[in-house]
Amino acid sequence: MSDQSYSAAAPRTSKRLRNTAWTRYLFVLPVILFLLVFIIFPIVYNLILSFQNVTVYNFKGHHAFAGLASYVKTFKDPVFYTALGNSVLFTVLSLVFQFSIGFALALFFNRSFPGRGLMRSLMLLAWMLPVVITASVFQWMLNGDYGVVNYILQSLGIIHEPHSWLSENGTALLSTIVANIWVGIPFNMIILLSGLQGLPEQLYEAAKLDGAGKMLQFRHITLPLMRPTILILLMLGIINTFKVFDMIFIMTAGGPVNSSNVLPIYAYQLSFTKFQFSQGASVSMIMFAILTVLAVIYLRMSSKEEAA
Amino acid sequence: MMNRRAQWKGAGMTVIGAVITLLFLFPVYWMVKTSITPITDLFSSPPHFGVLNATFTAYYNNFIHNTDMLRYIGNSFIIAIGTMIMSLLFATPAAYALARLDLKGKSLIMILLLAIQMLPGIMMAMPLFIMFSKVHLVNSYFGLILADMIHALPFAVLVLRPSFMALPKGLEEAAKIDGCNQLTAFTRIILPLAVPGMMTVAVFCFLFGWGDFIFGLTLTTEDSVRPLTLGLYRFIGQYGTEWNNLMAVATLAALPIIIIFIGLQRYVVGGITAGSMKD
Repeated sequence: MSDQSYSAAAPRTSKRLRNTAWTRYLFVLPVILFLLVFIIFPIVYNLILSFQNVTVYNFKGHHAFAGLASYVKTFKDPVFYTALGNSVLFTVLSLVFQFSIGFALALFFNRSFPGRGLMRSLMLLAWMLPVVITASVFQWMLNGDYGVVNYILQSLGIIHEPHSWLSENGTALLSTIVANIWVGIPFNMIILLSGLQGLPEQLYEAAKLDGAGKMLQFRHITLPLMRPTILILLMLGIINTFKVFDMIFIMTAGGPVNSSNVLPIYAYQLSFTKFQFSQGASVSMIMFAILTVLAVIYLRMSSKEEAA
Repeated sequence: MMNRRAQWKGAGMTVIGAVITLLFLFPVYWMVKTSITPITDLFSSPPHFGVLNATFTAYYNNFIHNTDMLRYIGNSFIIAIGTMIMSLLFATPAAYALARLDLKGKSLIMILLLAIQMLPGIMMAMPLFIMFSKVHLVNSYFGLILADMIHALPFAVLVLRPSFMALPKGLEEAAKIDGCNQLTAFTRIILPLAVPGMMTVAVFCFLFGWGDFIFGLTLTTEDSVRPLTLGLYRFIGQYGTEWNNLMAVATLAALPIIIIFIGLQRYVVGGITAGSMKD
């Protein structure tokens, strides 16, 4: 835009400026090449793989088209449905707690008192630590013999005998959810806090003059104004939680007997421990389809929010 | 009177806030505490909540006596710093162009970058493994850096773009009048002004590289290039019950993050809100 007005004013330099018209594409060229080679190509490759029958035995040779065979195989595998169900449960429970605890903390830390800045950024540490660290610390805390969680829950009278949280069918997935909630709370808090800080102070003052209490203010001012932030945060949360791999892989590896298996781990097991590359690719593509639907909703929402 | 009451209320909130923060960070405390507890004390019942007989044996065992972990640490630094430098190198000019130059297909690139952040790592790992094994990038730092950039690069562009948009209009024109061309206007005039945004991006790209697990797991078959996250993971399998050793390694793996966190805190908070909320 600026280039054009410039060249209209000074036609003598138009040759040099035409030069700059294409040189500006050089700025984005490295990123575009990277996207094509290392992201788009692998996705297409994955898609092709899912329609072939590639295993460790024919990995290096020529691969014939196998149609929907690997998808059919996946849809016939009961483990797929266990993993899908666990993925949904993991996502929903993680988000409900991350979000509500994060929101409560955001409301608390939004009030001004000495030390709040330090405290809320200290909490961010939980979110920044590599997941491997968090997972191993929770593994130790949830240990059946000497774990501190058993001790605390027993002293509080919540449980009566120690549990091996990570190796019992009923609690393995739940344990990974707890660890994941811990990681997600500060993230939710920070995003909601930055939303809360953008709300106009005068509205609350006017409400106070009208005699509206804290609960009414929250319901009729905070919630409606925070709606766009909340919606985007939840969508983003769903997308990011649905693809969690490290936390579960390290804490339980999907076990015992698939009781904490989720789609990303199921795909990993197919591709990297059973070397059923095509079937692994089909699971990836199914995840991709689910995430694409969610991503489209997310993009719609964020562009709507921007327009508003 | 009112003022006094407000002060008391503030102090009360501070106390409540401190209690919440400390309870929340209990796992971090427990990690550090376990790492300096003698192994015999770990199996006492009830457990000690305070630090008794602090010892640094676990650190000595894993970082001085046995030097395997040092190699993992070195690998992690190479991968994290490599990811940081490469992402900045690629992302900065692109973010600038997307913010200030008139390009065709701009919105398509933006949507692609947003969408890529949503891809599951495992979905990329498998095709990358097959691709990389054909061009000998399995078991290489470069391969791991490229893989980590899948996540880091779109993030870097999206976070940097607003900091270029925030610069005053007409900077480039002024630079051109002073004899700069498009490239030198960018490197000499614009770039120095975008340093704070680049700091945020550098911090996060380092974090992505340092914390990566899935590509370290899938794109390596030898220990020689594996990052510390994999070292820690293998450790869990090998020394399952030596929790003090495990927590010592975990604490040391957390150390760079804690240092970055203390030193560059404001860039971190900025990056979280910018990366997730704005276009």
